[in-house]
Amino acid sequence: MKGSLLVTIASNVKQCLATMKGIEAQLASFALNSLDSEAQATFNQAMLTVGEVKKDLQYRVLELERHEPQYKGS
Amino acid sequence: MMPDWVFIIFRSIVFLVLLFITTKVLGKKQISELSFFEYVAGITIGSIAGEVVTGLEGNMFHGALALVVFGFVTFLVNFLAIKSKKFSDFAEGKSTVVIKDGKILEENLKKEKYTIDELSALLRQKNIFKLADVEFAVLEPRGNLSALLKRENQPLTPKDLQMKMPNEKEPQTVIMDGNIVDESLRCAGKGRGWLYTELEKLDVTLDNVFLGQVDSYGELTVDLYDDKIQVPAPAQRPLLLATLKKIQADLEIFSLETDCEKSKAMYQVNAKKIQETIDVLSPYLNG
Repeated sequence: MKGSLLVTIASNVKQCLATMKGIEAQLASFALNSLDSEAQATFNQAMLTVGEVKKDLQYRVLELERHEPQYKGS
Repeated sequence: MMPDWVFIIFRSIVFLVLLFITTKVLGKKQISELSFFEYVAGITIGSIAGEVVTGLEGNMFHGALALVVFGFVTFLVNFLAIKSKKFSDFAEGKSTVVIKDGKILEENLKKEKYTIDELSALLRQKNIFKLADVEFAVLEPRGNLSALLKRENQPLTPKDLQMKMPNEKEPQTVIMDGNIVDESLRCAGKGRGWLYTELEKLDVTLDNVFLGQVDSYGELTVDLYDDKIQVPAPAQRPLLLATLKKIQADLEIFSLETDCEKSKAMYQVNAKKIQETIDVLSPYLNG
């Protein structure tokens, strides 16, 4: 029971991480495509913040995989 | 001897060209008739041209001469008005204050020979029906009225609500009639390659696009020749905002689900970070 819950959490976190990567890419594209310099700076800053959060999540995913190695991958 | 109608055609063309040149030389001011001289010159030049074109007995060159003189004098007056403030006040007239601190200045109104009815009519044209709403009003040299409303009667702006609005650049029209406008594309900081990619994303071909514009965020909106085809409006920014909100909620949920104190704290910190990012970005991502 405990194990299967961990699996759901791990896969949820992974999903979240994937969405996060998408957001980061989109923010980068907005930062490049915007014409207003203030908008560019704001998008760029947001991209960096999202990048930090993404790193923390990546670390957490590794941690979860270490706890339950049989669910690695997927 | 040429028939009369040939004369009329000939003169019409000559005077049209002459009028065009005169107006070009005098500039945009001539068309908007801002000052006395432009107003008078506008009327007179038109009348002279009309008279000469149809009045066959008159000498065409006399008419042309009068036209050039009027144009030249107006040009000279404009030139001097730029050089000297005093001269411009004299020739083009000064504006007269008619309402100050919310009170009508009767003296000035009388001096400009305006009645109260005329003043109210001018105010009504500005959608002002209550005199009490006006703080300050000026009669401009050309007879139109400019009015400043009292602060509490002015339209509400985002600044009044202390809302931060992102600055937006003007949209660039990059496709006209199925042709790429390279100059606008350059102004938008994009290239043809980018445009073709965006068109492919929208699943339309270039020759089907009647009008294409790029907005301040580099999003392309198109209008097609075929009005039956539905083109999705760009929704990337609202979608991005929604995704960010989802991520924020997910992080909150993870922080509740985990037993590990360290991870709980990590999720909470990151949820807060994302929330701050949402707050900063939402003015840019709305609409």
